[in-house]
Amino acid sequence: MLDQIEMLLPPNLRVLISRLPGWLHAAAEEVRIREGRPLELIHRDGFCFLKPDGTPAGKPEEAYRPTREDCNRLLELLTNHSIYSFEEELKRGYITVKGGHRVGLAGRTVLEQGRVKLIRDVCGFNIRLAREIKDTGRQVLPRITDPAARSVHHTLVISPPQTGKTTLIRDLARLISYGLWPDLRMGAGRKVGIVDERSELAACEKGVPRFDVGPRTDVMDGCPKAEGMMMMIRSMSPEILVVDEIGREEDAEALREAMHAGIRVIASAHGGGIADIRNRPALRQLSQERFFGRFVVLGRRQGKVLVEAVLDAEGRPAAEPLLQTAALKGGNHD
Amino acid sequence: MIKLIGALCIVFAGTMLGFYRALQLSERPRQIRQSILCLQRLETEIVYGITPLPEALKIIAGTAAGPLRTLFGLASRELEENGGGSVQEAWEQALKAAWSHTSMKQAEKDVFLQLGMTLGISDRDDQTKHLRLAVRQLQAEEAAAADDQKRYGGMWRSLGLLAGVLIVILMY
Repeated sequence: MLDQIEMLLPPNLRVLISRLPGWLHAAAEEVRIREGRPLELIHRDGFCFLKPDGTPAGKPEEAYRPTREDCNRLLELLTNHSIYSFEEELKRGYITVKGGHRVGLAGRTVLEQGRVKLIRDVCGFNIRLAREIKDTGRQVLPRITDPAARSVHHTLVISPPQTGKTTLIRDLARLISYGLWPDLRMGAGRKVGIVDERSELAACEKGVPRFDVGPRTDVMDGCPKAEGMMMMIRSMSPEILVVDEIGREEDAEALREAMHAGIRVIASAHGGGIADIRNRPALRQLSQERFFGRFVVLGRRQGKVLVEAVLDAEGRPAAEPLLQTAALKGGNHD
Repeated sequence: MIKLIGALCIVFAGTMLGFYRALQLSERPRQIRQSILCLQRLETEIVYGITPLPEALKIIAGTAAGPLRTLFGLASRELEENGGGSVQEAWEQALKAAWSHTSMKQAEKDVFLQLGMTLGISDRDDQTKHLRLAVRQLQAEEAAAADDQKRYGGMWRSLGLLAGVLIVILMY
């Protein structure tokens, strides 16, 4: 994963990252670059600062400190030498780069009529590595399938940041699109529509998904969620809509629209559990309306992501439906 | 006989030299005009097309002719191939390699160098301002260059011939 972002780093940092010891290279999750402060790497088991030779530093004082020049170059490379074409991203504070990796930005903001116009003097970068982990959805899919409707329940995946929400719903989209159902009665794959506001779910390059999201999946890339959902419903006739990180009023509106159109939705939201969801205005209303049939709560223990609970609309543990799980005939697997 | 052929050669060379200088003088305002057009097209690509810079430069190279094609093409290639370099470096490299093929002078080169420092590293409003500034500076240079051409173009043409004749006379 780190190899993909190495090309985006200025020469100094590229050399440093390429010298990382193997285990660190494999376990890396985030690279945090702050101007004039120690270079930090977040990995599966914690964090460390990095020395100029790429090894973990015992003390922050020994670590490499990125310079102003490093930061300027990094921003230039991240934006493909064209900051002007990333104005919207600079307003929102993150850039998604090739491979679906998201780079969060911090710096001094420029305001226009009281709203953030863009970030300038960017001096803090958080490079989050996107991972495609296939089959993470297999443990969840049986518990969200709705054999009666021959589809899935409206599902909300809840988890704190960095616990694999996006990875999970991406894999669910893939499984459903391929038709890798745990139940024989479900039949073939469904048409899936992904609204990928931050280009993280499908990691599109010029509109073509780079992650495997299935053969029957359409992706609306870089589109605001609410608008994208409406567009998808009107134009692409999806059977299942997949969206990441909902939470605004318009999102809820679009979700209701999808429901009335007979489309099932798989969405994700930040939160520690179902109680957090009930504290957020837009989501609270949806959950009061019993919109979501399933809540999947993710957690993290000892560096491993796991499904903590799957709950039904009332917030009680959901029973697994009776599935017909005899071996599939033929090979309609991927 | 051989003396006569030699003399003719010298007169011919002198004339050609004069014509060459005159041609350069007339090329300069033409190339400045082309540069202005290129920069205006670049502005459109940046502000309305929001095309990433390497691609925008390649498009400009495709529409330009002669040394400007080389200049923009080189800059684009430099940006795409040299992973860690900045726009400024790529731009300077391209200028260094392509400038000797143009008939433009130091004043125009300075305008281009200055533009390289700002290209791609700010928002659209700012890019527009810098590109327009460069265009205005080039327009001023173009007026001066056209003036020069009018004044010295004819002079160089006749001066070349006359210088050739003078050398022949002195040698006889």
